[in-house]
Parts: sequence; structure tokens; C-alpha cells
Amino acid sequence: MSATAAQRFLQEAAVKSADLVHREIIRRGMESYDAAHLKGRARIKDWEAAREKCQKIKREAINHLDRYLVQFEQQVIARGGHVFWAANGQEACSYVKDVATRRGVRTVVKSKSMVTEEIHLGPVLEEAGIKVWETDFGEFIVQLRNEPPYHIVTPCMHLNRRQIAELFREKLQTEIESDDPAYLMTVARRKLREAFFSAEMGISGANFLVADVGAIAISTNEGNGRLCTSLPRIHVVVTGIEKIIPHLEDLAVLWPVLATSGTGQGITTYSTLIGGARQPGEADGPEEFHVVLVDNGRSRLLADPEQREVLHCIRCGACLNICPVFRHIGGHTYGTTYPGPIGSVLTPHLGGIAEFKHLSYASSLCGACTSVCPVKIDLHHHLLQNRRNATSAGATKMSERLAFRAWRFAMVHPAIYAFGGWTMRKVLRAMYGLGLAGSIADPMRPWNRHRTPVPLASESFRARWRKELGAN
Amino acid sequence: MAQTDNPSREQILNQIRSGLRMEVPEARAICSNRQIFEAVTNPLQRFQQECVANLMECTLTANSESSALQLAKALQSLPAGEVFVQEHPSLRKLTALAASDRSIRWSSEGAPGEASQATVTLAEALIAQTGSILVTASCGGRGASIVAPCHIIYATVDQLVPDLQTALSYLARERKLDKNSFACVISGSSRTADIEKILVQGAHGPRRLVVILETGK
Amino acid sequence: MQRKVSLFVPCFVDQLLPEVAVDTVKVLRRLGYAVDFPEAQTCCGQPAFNTGYWNDARPCAEHFVRVFKDAETVVCPSGSCVTMVRKFYADLLASSPLRSDASALCARTFELSEFLVKVAGITDARASFPHTVTYHASCHGTRELDIRDEPLQLLRKVEGLKLLAMQRFDECCGFGGTFAAKFADISAAMGGSKAESISATGAEFVTAIDPSCLLHLQGILGKRQARARAIHLASILAQERT
Repeated sequence: MSATAAQRFLQEAAVKSADLVHREIIRRGMESYDAAHLKGRARIKDWEAAREKCQKIKREAINHLDRYLVQFEQQVIARGGHVFWAANGQEACSYVKDVATRRGVRTVVKSKSMVTEEIHLGPVLEEAGIKVWETDFGEFIVQLRNEPPYHIVTPCMHLNRRQIAELFREKLQTEIESDDPAYLMTVARRKLREAFFSAEMGISGANFLVADVGAIAISTNEGNGRLCTSLPRIHVVVTGIEKIIPHLEDLAVLWPVLATSGTGQGITTYSTLIGGARQPGEADGPEEFHVVLVDNGRSRLLADPEQREVLHCIRCGACLNICPVFRHIGGHTYGTTYPGPIGSVLTPHLGGIAEFKHLSYASSLCGACTSVCPVKIDLHHHLLQNRRNATSAGATKMSERLAFRAWRFAMVHPAIYAFGGWTMRKVLRAMYGLGLAGSIADPMRPWNRHRTPVPLASESFRARWRKELGAN
Repeated sequence: MAQTDNPSREQILNQIRSGLRMEVPEARAICSNRQIFEAVTNPLQRFQQECVANLMECTLTANSESSALQLAKALQSLPAGEVFVQEHPSLRKLTALAASDRSIRWSSEGAPGEASQATVTLAEALIAQTGSILVTASCGGRGASIVAPCHIIYATVDQLVPDLQTALSYLARERKLDKNSFACVISGSSRTADIEKILVQGAHGPRRLVVILETGK
Repeated sequence: MQRKVSLFVPCFVDQLLPEVAVDTVKVLRRLGYAVDFPEAQTCCGQPAFNTGYWNDARPCAEHFVRVFKDAETVVCPSGSCVTMVRKFYADLLASSPLRSDASALCARTFELSEFLVKVAGITDARASFPHTVTYHASCHGTRELDIRDEPLQLLRKVEGLKLLAMQRFDECCGFGGTFAAKFADISAAMGGSKAESISATGAEFVTAIDPSCLLHLQGILGKRQARARAIHLASILAQERT
């Protein structure tokens, strides 16, 4: 019987939690992000005002999603572009595959898009005999390793330069002279340049869909997104429907906030706007422009008034970076397209609560994520709501449900509570006296595996109060 | 209206509309009018500072002769090879003044060649807040600002705007995205920090971004 | 007429760390408060609530509201328990007949350090504790109740106490309630990182306003045979100046 997602998570988490080398790599990466992020924040005079503005923009967009999507669509079509609405991943993949096969596409260059990971577009195209090149440097690397991205913004932060050099030596069949990052970049650049100039189709995501001008906005630093959308004759955008924003001028705050939260920059190097295929008179550009609007559970989340704001997410990665759980188990352990706090909140909605509720429990609810979210999503409280939804859906273990039923009985009967506490201390003290702490019989075993046992007071506070403390 | 057979369109829109009928318990209204960014008081100085931080080269020139000199200098520093230039009277004039013996491909002839050593374009605007260049498809096309290892921009100081807000308002007001299929705010050389968070310049795009800014003084 | 407070003792403090409550009583009395302990109290309901069992948490919360209904002021040496009352009772008891009593109770329920500094206006608890101490900012107190400076103000006035700042002082210690049992490896790993930050200061003690954090940290520090020991803020303040 294959392991459930929850079992796999626990196993992987146990491995990664003990992996100190991995922890150190993440720590260094996060330290570098922390420093950059602080500098980035200093460029914004009033960070709280910026967050409120971004929250306001996304709230307006999501609360009128139909209107803005239609406005966006109308303009794209008026300029000769195609808009395809995909109810789920399968429909989206079929559409892209159809366009590719009808137009004789043999090679695709792809810039970063988490949605294409979500719908597993790569394998569908590969199966149709189309070669897909991930061109974002980090994505290119994990593609060579045949593994998913580790982090939504920095896909290969779990690897060091030596590993990457080895990887290139093995997979690219070229002489690799050193593991200097700049050198490795030129190797990748040369390889990918061949792909950029020969590919018939470029696939990109979109950071934002701008409703009032009918354009997509893409932010990249490397320029791979630019090349994917300039050189091939067909440009396909695959995006979630929630990426919409009402006005072009909203980008005046969203672009800097996205960059600050994502990498600590003031703005991403290439902040691009594309409204369609090349127009007559333009020197170059694609001949065809397609936008695939992916639903895949998002409209269902819209109907949840408590959690609708989860759709405000701009995929900056800040919550991943600050999350102490993420910092200890890393991105792959989650086993989902979207890891970290946003992943834990969102995945049950996209993938089903029964299978993915464990992610909402794999959190200490510290609230750091909520404190950094640039669009002020109440992330850790949504985790609590997911937990509540899991229990009401009957998706939790019977033994646990019964245990809390018993707990509840004790808690409304003080004498029973006090007796229960007294008994527990007596039993544990006896057990530990016999040296059974940490053994199979020890009910506190999970605790005692990693910690010295809890102190077992000989008297509860209420007993002492009654005896000696009562009088003022 | 949809060009392709797309039954999911109605289904999705209906699902969205019925979903939105669920009222969200309204959180306190957000109405802060606090200033988010520090006002840019000296755009030229700010632009130059940001260029330095963005690892861009920005040179101020007094007139077209000295601009041409800067262009010549930049071209001389490059390896041999073709240069792609945006078709525009001011660039025709500038390249003539620079009197370089480079072979030039003009944007009127099509996209830049794969082996171009540099591209030379105008800009729509310069943005002081972030040290950015705003280009559109009218500035020699899409490839012009990304294909070659060096991108040279010839601009005048009256093109300088203080912030992103102004630049985006300009784009919206002039309906630039109706007349141009593409626009881009470029804030530095192409870079990546994907390996061990170490900054590497010159990823897939230009490693060098050179701004020749004519002040007329 | 002497000012009165009612003591709210977290269930696990009652059973496992009674000295934290004893010390809380000592401090409050020393500063001139009459303290009573409504004996019918059991728990604020957080364990069930956090695990998603809101229907089980609700009767427990209602019991709590009844017990403290007539209390003038409620003081508790735990940021997470006070968070439960102030931040979550509104949602949890939204359809309960005790809804308005709960909301009234919110306004009179305080964590110990915020009570001393913000309500009583006291930063000098007349304590003495000649040791090096580092402060861990517990998550609930910091992020839900916005208690940031109050514990530090109190610690700075303790005679002989040397406060050493720890790196990432507001990073979660990894306890997280049932998280510590369900995801024991992650909890321990987070605790381990925290223990390293603590050890790096060289401090003899680590303190916080949340006894659950300290219980967890003591277990981790003990396992590593670290120098530092965990001690609750109340227990530091209880050491009276002579």
C-alpha cells in the first residue's frame, strides 16, 4: 500500500529535520535574503501603507473578478490575441498541446510559471514529442536533476556550486572548467541561447494581468522571460485567474513590493508588459499570442468568504522565507507545487482537504508568515480554519476525536480535570521511576525522544493554593 | 466572442459570479492616504545614484557631439561584430557623428542578429525612483533591449520622470499599449543569484547597460 | 481598598509548572494586589481549538467565561492562553449565549507583563536576580497581543540582571501545542536551532512570558546538556530584593 501524502511528509520531514548540512545551506540562503530584504524595505518610506495599498488593490480585483477578467479578455482579443478559459489543469494542458501540435512546434522555451508546475504541463508536452527547456536558471537546473523546484522564487537554493558544476558535467556533455557561479551561468547561457533562437513557442506565466489595458505583466531578473516572449513565433501565457489587477498604475506599488518581498530588490530588473502579438511596423515579436486562464479550484475558493483572501497572493515567497518550519524541512518535503505557509493554506483547496490537511497541522502557528505577507493575508489563522474544516469534514482520526471528547468532559467538570491531572502525574512518575521514559509504553514518547522529560510536580498549583496560598 | 471553442468560459464565469454572491465579512475599510514612497526631490541626482546601485553605466553629456563621442567610446570597447540600432532620425544622426566603422543593422530591416555585439535605442522615459529605462516596441522592437550583451540607450534629460507612478500614468494616458505590443521597465543589467545567492551579472540578457543622458548643458 | 486580581492559571502550569503560578501570586501580592484563584477554572480551551475541534473547545470556553464572569481583572502568566481569550473567543463563541460576557471578559484579561506595565504602571517589580539572562519573544504574546517591550522593561529593572540579546529572538521555539507531538522531529529541530541561539549568548538563563515555550526549551536544552536553564519571567520577578 503506497504511503499517503501525510505519511510521506512525516518521513521526509524526519529526515530533513535531522539533516544539519541541509539546514546550514538553508540558513545561509535565508540570512542573505534577510539582509537584502531589510535593505529593500528601507527604500519604502511606509511599509505598512504599502501593504495596505496592495491588500486594497487585490481585494478590489478579487471581489470583482468576473468584471476584470472580461475587461482583460476583451482587449486581448481586440488586438488579435486568443484567450482560453481552462476549468482545470487537464483542459489547460490540452489547449497548449493543441496549439503546439497544430503549429508544428518542436521546441518550447519556458520562463518561470508556478501554474505550469501545478498543472504538470511539461510532461504533457514532452509526451507529445515536444522538447521543453526551462530557461529560468534555477528551474533549468532542477529540470536537469529531474526534480521539482525547491522554492517558488529561488528554485535551486538547496544546491551548492559544486553540485551544479557536477550536474552540468554529467547532463550537458560539455567541458566544465570550474564551479565559479559566473562561469556556470555562461555555460547555461550558451546552451539556452541555442534554444531561445530555435524554439517555435515561448511559454510564460504572468505575475499580474492588468485589466484596464489588457496586458500581462512579467517580472524577471535574468531576461529569460524577455527572450521567451520575443524570439519564438508563438507566445503562450499560462496563468491563474486570480492574478488580475484593475489598473496599470497599481503596478507602481505592486512591482516594488513584489521585488522587496521576493528578493529584497527595489524592482525586478525586467518588469515587462505584453498586450499581444507583434503589431504591424514592429521590428520583431511573436506572431501569435495566447492567454490560458486557469481556474483549477480557484473559483471554488472564491466562494469561501472566510478564505477568499487567499487568492490575493502575489507569489512573492516571503512567507516561505520567514517560516521556521520551511527553514528546517525545506521546500521539497511539502511534496506540493506550493510549499511553505501559502502552500499549506492553499493546497487543501486545490487538492482536497482529506489528502492535504496534514500541511495545515505541520505548523506551530507562530504567525511570522502573516506578519510579512505584503498583501496582508491572515495566513496562520487560515491554517487554524483549515484544521477546523478538517475536523468538521470528519477527516481526522477517530482516536483523536474521542480523545478530545473525553478532554472536553474533563474540562467542564473541574473535579474530574483535577483528578485526571493528579492521576497522570502519578502514573508518569511511577513509569519514569522504573526507567520507562521514552519507551513504547510512555505516553509522552514523542516528547521524550528529543527532550528531557517534563517535570512532574508533586502537587498541583490548586492543591498548594488550597493549602497555603489562599489567604492574602 | 471567444475565438476558440471554450465552453468552460461560461462555466467559470458563472462559478465566479455565484461565489462572489457570498458576502465577505467586511474587514475595516482601508483608507490610509499615507505616502508610500519618499518623494523624489532631485530626479537627476536620484537617477544617477540608482544607476550606480543597479550596476548601470550612466554618462551625462552636454550636446549631441559629446553624446556621439560617448557612443563611439562604448562601441570601441566591444568585441568586433554587428551593432543593431533603432531606426530613428536622432539615432541616424548620432551614429553618423560617432563615425564608427561598425556594420549597423537598422530596426527597419528586422530583428537584431543573434551575434549582435550591442544594440542602440532610444527610450520612452527614464525613471528616477528606481533608476529605470522605460522602453516599448517603438524603441527598436523587443529583442533590441535583450538580445545583445550590451544595450546602449540615448536619452535626453527632459525624458526623466520622478517615479514609477508617473511613468505608468504616462503609459496609460498615451494608450501606449494599444500602439505597442510590448513595454518594459528595465532597471539594470541582466542578473541572477540562483547559485548560492551570489549575484552574477549578465544572465540571459545584456551584461552592460549604458545610458548616454544628454542634458543640454 | 486593595486592588483585586483573579488569577487564571494555564492547565499545564497548574499540573506541571505550579511554581510559575506561585511566583505570579508572590509578585502581584508584593506589588499590593489582592489575588484570588477561582478554583472552578480548568482550561481556556486552546488545545482543542488549535487542533480544529472547535465544538469541543466551545463548552470549555463557556465554562471559563462563567468562572471569570464576575472577576474584576484577570491576570495570567501565559501569552498563548491570554491570546486564546482575547483573540479567539469572539469567533469561537459567536453563536453562544455567553457571547457578550466573553467579549466583556476580553477587555479585562491580561498577560502578566502587560498587566504590570500597562495597567499597573509598574516597571520596577523590586526584584533581584544577579544572573545573565536572554529573552525569547514568544509568538502569541509578540504577534497576537503585541507584547514586545513590556517584558524587557521589567527585566531591565531587575537588580543585578544582565540582559543578553539573542539572534532571531522572535523566531518560534517550535513548541506549537500538539505540533510538538504530531510533528515531533520538526518541533525538535526548531527547538535545536533556538537552543543554539540561546547558547550563543552564553546566558545562564532564557526567559519568556509563555511557560509552554519554556517547558519545551528546557527539555531541549536539558537533552543537549546546555548551560542555560529556562525560567519564567514571573519566577525572575519573584526573587525579591532584600
